[in-house]
Amino acid sequence: MTYPPPLAELIELFELLPESERRENLINYADAAASCVRKEGETFDLEDVRKDEECTDTVGVFLRVDGDGKAHFAVELGPKVQTLTKAMTAILCRGLNGSTPQDILNVPADFVPRIIGAELVRLRSQTVYYVLSRMKTAVRMLLDRRRTADALSQ
Amino acid sequence: MNPKFAAYATLDVLVDTEWLAANMEAPGIRIVESNEDLLLYDVNHIPGAVHIDWRRDLNDQTTRDYVGPEDFAALCRRCGIKPETTVIFYGDKSNWWACYAFWVFQLFGHTKAKLLDGGRDKWEAEGRALTREVKTWPATDYPVPAQRDDAAHRAYFQQTLEHWKAGGKLVDVRSPKEFSGEVTHMPEYPQEGVLRGGHIPGAKSCPWARAANADKTFKTRAELEAIYAGEIGLKTDDDIIAYCRIGERSSHTWFVLKYLLGHRQVRNYDGSWTEWGNMVRTPIEKGE
Repeated sequence: MTYPPPLAELIELFELLPESERRENLINYADAAASCVRKEGETFDLEDVRKDEECTDTVGVFLRVDGDGKAHFAVELGPKVQTLTKAMTAILCRGLNGSTPQDILNVPADFVPRIIGAELVRLRSQTVYYVLSRMKTAVRMLLDRRRTADALSQ
Repeated sequence: MNPKFAAYATLDVLVDTEWLAANMEAPGIRIVESNEDLLLYDVNHIPGAVHIDWRRDLNDQTTRDYVGPEDFAALCRRCGIKPETTVIFYGDKSNWWACYAFWVFQLFGHTKAKLLDGGRDKWEAEGRALTREVKTWPATDYPVPAQRDDAAHRAYFQQTLEHWKAGGKLVDVRSPKEFSGEVTHMPEYPQEGVLRGGHIPGAKSCPWARAANADKTFKTRAELEAIYAGEIGLKTDDDIIAYCRIGERSSHTWFVLKYLLGHRQVRNYDGSWTEWGNMVRTPIEKGE
């Protein structure tokens, strides 16, 4: 399975890190989640803001697909979201922005433990998979809307 | 002393944020953070606090059990804890894991232990000092405890079954939907289900959160008595077993019953619903 190149680079980087540096980098990415929010003036094709059972707080996923067919995400997290989920948000925004919707749907979740490490994938840390699933859901919703709109216009 | 604390059955088992802020560097104490969020301590913590990870440091890494005396002593040594050190626990999620760590320390007889009322949430909400700097304390020579004394504080499955057969008091501290069997997991943790939903027959439902205020501090003694004695009918001399799903929420209730209300015989059934609800042919009751 191939990953979008920016995500593949991040996987490779994290896999090579010793545990202490991996944790430090995850904290840095968690800090960077604050910069994944919508910028002033930005518009999106799809906005999906909700509080699900799988996560401790509200997560907003905003998706735009540009004229070249590339996806761009913004993600906004409520304050109670766990640190690993924040880290995965920043990693996924960096790793998936600029990919095509289909490439995003094809990304398997098996890279998550390779990034955060076996030590941290355990009971009470399963929300690390949540943001990826929400981003994929946003892509599916947008593609469905566009398909419906295309069908209605014909 | 905080006037609320003066009314509790045990006077010196809680500290408030104001006291801790003024005594962070006092000799003879060690501040311990224990969280559900695995990286929260790494993000920041109370200056000087050490980290105890419930899964890595308190649980046996193979068997579903706690560490033994040797590993407990090694943990204390590397955290700079001596037998005479007063350990002050705090953490996220209303102190769930801080209570759990406190409880494990009692299994090894480390009674010089306190809890920060309101935990990390209150400390943060008040804008108090937090740092990313990890302070290393000199290692100690904490002696290996003679044994892990589970009998006073911990109930195993078979003991809980016998307790139920004898009509003993059981307190189910999970959410109402977990108690009724409508769901097999707690809210926000759908991936942590068990094979059967419901509760131990005869158990009284009293969700752990009823003991906490919105700011995560404990309710007053009068408020707690109204719930646990008034509504649930627990008496000070009752033999009580509390349980939840894996034992952390019931550590919170165990702490309330034992230390704040002075119940003499309270045990935490840490196998809890993940053991009972998965065990073949155990009695289960559904509904409210």
